[in-house]
Amino acid sequence: MKIIVCVGTGGVGKTSVAASIALTQARAGAKCLVLTTDPSHRLRTALGLKDGLLEQRVPVQDAKGELWAALLDVNATLDEAVRLYAKPGNQARILQHPIYRQIANSLSGMQELMAVERIDQLILRGFNNIVVDTAPSRHALDVFDKPELFADFSDSRKVRLVSRTYQFAEAVGLTTVGRGALEFYSRVESILGTNFVRQMLDFYSLFYPIAEGYSARARRTAALLRDPKITEFCVVTVPAKALRDAQFFIEALNKRKFAIGMICVNRTWHHAQPEMAPEGLATELLDWYRSGSASHLSAIAKMREMFGRQVKEIRILNELERDVDGVESLRRLADQLEPALAAAAQ
Amino acid sequence: MQGKYAVMNPMPDSARLVIFCGKGGVGKTTLSLAAGLKYAMNGRRVLVISSHPIAELALAVSLEGLSARFPAAAPNLFVLYIDPRDLIADVVNKHFPMPVMAQRILNSSIFTNLVEIAPGLKEFFFLGRLQELCERRKNGSGPAAPDYDYLIWDAPASGHFLTTLRSAKNFEVFLTGPLAAAGAQLHRFFSNPQNIQLFPVTPLEEMAIAETLEMAQSMAEDFEIKCSALLVSCASPMCAAAEAGIAGLGPAAESSPAMRFAIERGLIERERCVELRAALPVPQVLIPRITQWSNDLDLLARIGERMDLSQFS
Repeated sequence: MKIIVCVGTGGVGKTSVAASIALTQARAGAKCLVLTTDPSHRLRTALGLKDGLLEQRVPVQDAKGELWAALLDVNATLDEAVRLYAKPGNQARILQHPIYRQIANSLSGMQELMAVERIDQLILRGFNNIVVDTAPSRHALDVFDKPELFADFSDSRKVRLVSRTYQFAEAVGLTTVGRGALEFYSRVESILGTNFVRQMLDFYSLFYPIAEGYSARARRTAALLRDPKITEFCVVTVPAKALRDAQFFIEALNKRKFAIGMICVNRTWHHAQPEMAPEGLATELLDWYRSGSASHLSAIAKMREMFGRQVKEIRILNELERDVDGVESLRRLADQLEPALAAAAQ
Repeated sequence: MQGKYAVMNPMPDSARLVIFCGKGGVGKTTLSLAAGLKYAMNGRRVLVISSHPIAELALAVSLEGLSARFPAAAPNLFVLYIDPRDLIADVVNKHFPMPVMAQRILNSSIFTNLVEIAPGLKEFFFLGRLQELCERRKNGSGPAAPDYDYLIWDAPASGHFLTTLRSAKNFEVFLTGPLAAAGAQLHRFFSNPQNIQLFPVTPLEEMAIAETLEMAQSMAEDFEIKCSALLVSCASPMCAAAEAGIAGLGPAAESSPAMRFAIERGLIERERCVELRAALPVPQVLIPRITQWSNDLDLLARIGERMDLSQFS
């Protein structure tokens, strides 16, 4: 089994790099799936991705293996978890609960939580070579700190305790509950509103079994991701962010004992420059390119000096003229990635 | 700089909230700080507010050199990071005159868990704080209280930005009681074009453009806020060039991969400028890629020189 997890902040082309890595694996003969979070419209079309829970085979010429793609649909994955793990009688109540409508979009880390859920589903469905494109956030790794995180939201004895005490207090008319607890709830209610607190508690008491099942699966997935023989993390960045991103992610990954494979500096202006000086607007344009290129390369040099020894490889990818818009662009990125990854795939 | 101060309009009742929004990584923080610095150099008091931690506001760190480099701006420019959790703690503290009681609530894991799992609660309190900062003057704070001519919100990436703004409406719709009333009132504030100046930021890249257009549409439909201008970051020199110059570029493309890249990129960007103008008919401010700068502060000043937003106020 082989898993590559691409991490990086927004706007670095993480999805394209993840898909290109998967393409290099497919070319080397593997059946490789890329799980993406937020592909551009054209990349989405190129990979044949649709909302929902389907995996899609991407036709690639002259590849010995197979390239597959799937879209991480947070809502669909969560709905699926509700259908799989909630008691039949509770399913509809959860799916129609006013809090549920907000939870998928506003709980921080929901995308990462559902990515972990989806990886588990994919492995069960027989995919054993997966490239994961995480959410564009520095917090993408937080979810691995505590696979129980999700369960903690509702399993947390604390919330259940509140919930129970609360229901109990209501059932017996509050008077038999100790003064301290009573005052506490009335105060919290006065701040947040009675209805809100009640709705929250009601929702999480329904939701608990789902989160509980989740944490068991998340622990299983986290163990795979921690195994350096199975999983490597790839930091994707762009020249302007290279130093900051390398510093942040190397520290974050080391702290969590994840194996770092390479740092991939995407969108670099490192194309071969003309020997003869051009004329007219072209001069201005070349100056524009050169100054951009110079600042890119000096930023990368600084990053290499500080962090080069802590990673297996730093790879520079030249920026394409157009945003990645199809398998052809992925192929051009994969060509630049090939030497490193084909070797690693053997 | 001081001369400009004298001809300024009389101070309005509340500060204008200037919002820089857009996809992640398009330069919202940089432009927020550049605009803040520029306003401050013109004698306006400015507060730049961010809801992401200071660590990500890497540029702000070097604002330390501000007073040496831009003495006129230094006393007017403030940068503030707001952690919504602190705001919630404030509310609790206000509710409990006795600090012991407040601490008990804040330290209780029940309360902290409740705050973390409540959808939109943190965003909601953040909005409340923004409004309060805008209206400070109106509420008659003492003379020592800081007040500002401009509040600049270095907003989170589009998705979270809209979630944040929608939290007010959600609270109004889904809840009853004090939070619902506060939600309605906040939603009114953030749907009033007089309070808000919206500046989406986008480079000429497909995804960033798509996200910007989607967000502008949501803002117009859900909040009746129209964009004041669209800030186009890192634009190629070809964007503003005349047709004749562009036509003459042909042969240069063959000279090297670098030129081919630069020209193709420039042509694409020109097309996108036109498409963008049709899709979002608001003024465009082209902010060229700054190619040479000595430090972060210098970069901010240079961007400021090329970004005149005063025409939109």
